[in-house]
Amino acid sequence: MTILEEPIKGTPTTKNYIDGDWVESKGEILDVVNPVKNETIAQVAMSTEEELDDAVKAAQEAYPDWRRTPPVARARYLYRLRELLEENFEELSRIQTQEHGKTIDESRGETRRGIENVEVACGIPTLMMGDTSEDIASGIDEYLIRVPLGVFGIIGPFNFPFMIPLWSAPYAVATGNTVVIKPSEQCPLSQTRLAELVDEAGFPPGVWNVVHGEKKVVNAMLDHPDIIGITFVGSTPTARDVIYPRCGTSGKRVIAQAGASNMMVIMPDCNVRGTVPALMTSFFGNAGQRCLAGQNLIVVGEDNDFYDEFMDAVTATAKGIIVGNGLDESVQMGPVKDAGKKEKILGYIESGLKEGGKLRLDGRKPTILGDYPDTCFLGPTILEGVTPEMRIVREEIFGPTMGVMRAKDLDEAIEICNQNPYHNADAIFTSSGKYARQFQYEVNCGNIGINLGIVAPMAFYPFSGMSGSFYGILHTQGKEAVRFFTESKVCIHRWL
Amino acid sequence: MKLHTASETVSFVKELEEKSAQFYEDLAQRYPNNEDVFLAYAKENRKYSTQIQRAYYSVITDAIEGGYAFDLEADDHTLDTELPEQASYSAAVDKAVEIEEKMIRFYTVAAEQSMSLMADVPRNFKIVARKRQKRIQQLQSWT
Repeated sequence: MTILEEPIKGTPTTKNYIDGDWVESKGEILDVVNPVKNETIAQVAMSTEEELDDAVKAAQEAYPDWRRTPPVARARYLYRLRELLEENFEELSRIQTQEHGKTIDESRGETRRGIENVEVACGIPTLMMGDTSEDIASGIDEYLIRVPLGVFGIIGPFNFPFMIPLWSAPYAVATGNTVVIKPSEQCPLSQTRLAELVDEAGFPPGVWNVVHGEKKVVNAMLDHPDIIGITFVGSTPTARDVIYPRCGTSGKRVIAQAGASNMMVIMPDCNVRGTVPALMTSFFGNAGQRCLAGQNLIVVGEDNDFYDEFMDAVTATAKGIIVGNGLDESVQMGPVKDAGKKEKILGYIESGLKEGGKLRLDGRKPTILGDYPDTCFLGPTILEGVTPEMRIVREEIFGPTMGVMRAKDLDEAIEICNQNPYHNADAIFTSSGKYARQFQYEVNCGNIGINLGIVAPMAFYPFSGMSGSFYGILHTQGKEAVRFFTESKVCIHRWL
Repeated sequence: MKLHTASETVSFVKELEEKSAQFYEDLAQRYPNNEDVFLAYAKENRKYSTQIQRAYYSVITDAIEGGYAFDLEADDHTLDTELPEQASYSAAVDKAVEIEEKMIRFYTVAAEQSMSLMADVPRNFKIVARKRQKRIQQLQSWT
C-alpha cells in the first residue's frame, strides 16, 4: 500500500488573484477541511463585494487590450499554460485529492479533462472564424464576425474543483474576454494553484482573476453591471431559482448546469463482465458526487434468474470496493466532502427504506482502509425495490448509493427515465444495436451512454444536459462555449 | 496483495521495470563482454516504464474504469532477481529469461484484464510483452 505525499503542507491561507497580483482578503476566514483525516489543511477568505468589484474592474480594464490581441497570440498564452499544466500534472491531481477526498486515479482523470479543454481552446483561431457570403445581392457581400463581449463570471462547484472552471475559462479568454472565477469555498486550492500557473504563463494582468468566497460573492457577481455573462455548475435549486432568473433580470447570458438523478438501464443481453466495472465507476466513483453519476439502476425484463445473477455480481463487486484515503493508490472510493453531506446522504437512505426500499448492501458503516476517522466516509449502498415516485429517485442524492428498479421492457424503462425531473445523463447496457438506437432516440436527456457508465463529453463536445439539469441555451465546452463567449456581428457591405 | 486500480498497477510496473533494470546493470558489471547489451536492456526497461506511465496519464479520465480495471495478484508477479555470486554466465542468462517470461506473463494478464477499460494502456502492455519476447530469443541465442 503506497500513500502518495500530500502537496499542501502547513495551513496556507488562499489569496485572491486580482489584476496579476496576489491580494489578501479582508473577509471572514473559513477552514478548508480534508475529509479523510477531518483536519484543516488550509484557510480561505470569504471575499467582500468590494474585492469582487476590484476584480471586475481589473478584468474590465484588461479587456480592450486583450480583445485586440490577435487570437493566434491569445492561443499561445494557452499553449504555455497547457505546458505548465502537464509539468505540474501530478501536483495538481494530488491537491484535488487532498482538498476533495477523491481517489488519485479520479483526480488525474479530472486533471486530464481540464487540460483537454485548454487544448481545444488553443484552436481558437479556427474555432472563432466567421462566415462570408459573396453577392447576397449584386455587388453586396455579407459576413459574420464572432466578437468577444467583456467580463465573464465563472462559478465553480466543489465536486470537480479543478476541471469544471476549465469548461469555461479557456474558451472565455481565448475568444478575447476576461474572467473572474469564484472557486468552491470548500475546495479552493486547485484553482489557486491553477491561477499561479496562469500567472507563470504570462497572461496579462486582469485577464484571469480569482476571487474566493461564497454566497456574497455569487450575489455580487449576479448583480454586477459590468459582468456580461455567467457560467455556473451546481445544484438544481440554485441554478433554477437563483442563477438563471437573476441573470435574466440583469440581462446576462447564462449557462447554468445543475443536478441529476441519472438512470442506468440494464438489458438482459448486456455483457455482464464489462458492465459491472462501468457501474462501479458510475455509481460509486467520486463517492457518487458528480452530476454524471448513476443514481438509479433499471433492470429490464421479467427473468428473475438474470436479475439475481446480475445483482449478485454487482453487489459482490460493490462490497469489495476499497474505501479510504484517495492518496492511497489501492483505494477505489474516497470519503464524501464533509460530515453534512454524509448526513444528507444517510437521510436519503433512511427515506428510501421508509418508502419501501430494501437494503441489498448497507454502506452506512463502512470498513475504512487505514486509521482514519469515519466522519465523512460511507461505503456503497444498494437499495432494491425502489420505485420512480420515491424521493431517492426524484431528488439528487450526490452520494454512493444505487437504487434498483425493474421494468418489464425497454419501453417502460425509457418512460421511467423520461418521467424523472432530471435529464442529464442516462445510459443503456446492451449488445443489441436495436435497443441502443431506440434508447438513444427516445430518451430525453442531454448525455447518453451506450455501454458506458460515465457519459462525460470530451472537451470538443458540449456538456449537454437538458431540462431540470440545465438552464440556458448553449453549453460549456467546445464550439458551444465559443458561441456562448462571443456575439455574432453581421456586416453587409457595398462599395459605391 | 491485490492490484485493482490503474494507479497502483502503473506504480507496480515502475517497480518491476526498475528491479529488472537493476538486474541487467548488475549483469553488465559481472559480464563485461556483453556490457553494452545489458545496459541497453536496462535503459529499455526504464523507457517501457515511462511509456506505460505516459499512456496512463494520457488516457486517464472519469469515463474509463481506472479504479476497477485490474484484478492482479501482485505476489504472482514479483521478481526474484537474486543471482548467486559465483553464477555462471549460462545461469545468469537463464535467470534473465525467467525474469522476462515472468514479465511477459504480467503484461499479458494485465492487458487482458483491462482490454476494454483502459484505452491505450493495454495496447502498450502488449507492445512491451511482444518486445520482451524478442529479447528472450536474443538471450537464448547466447547459450
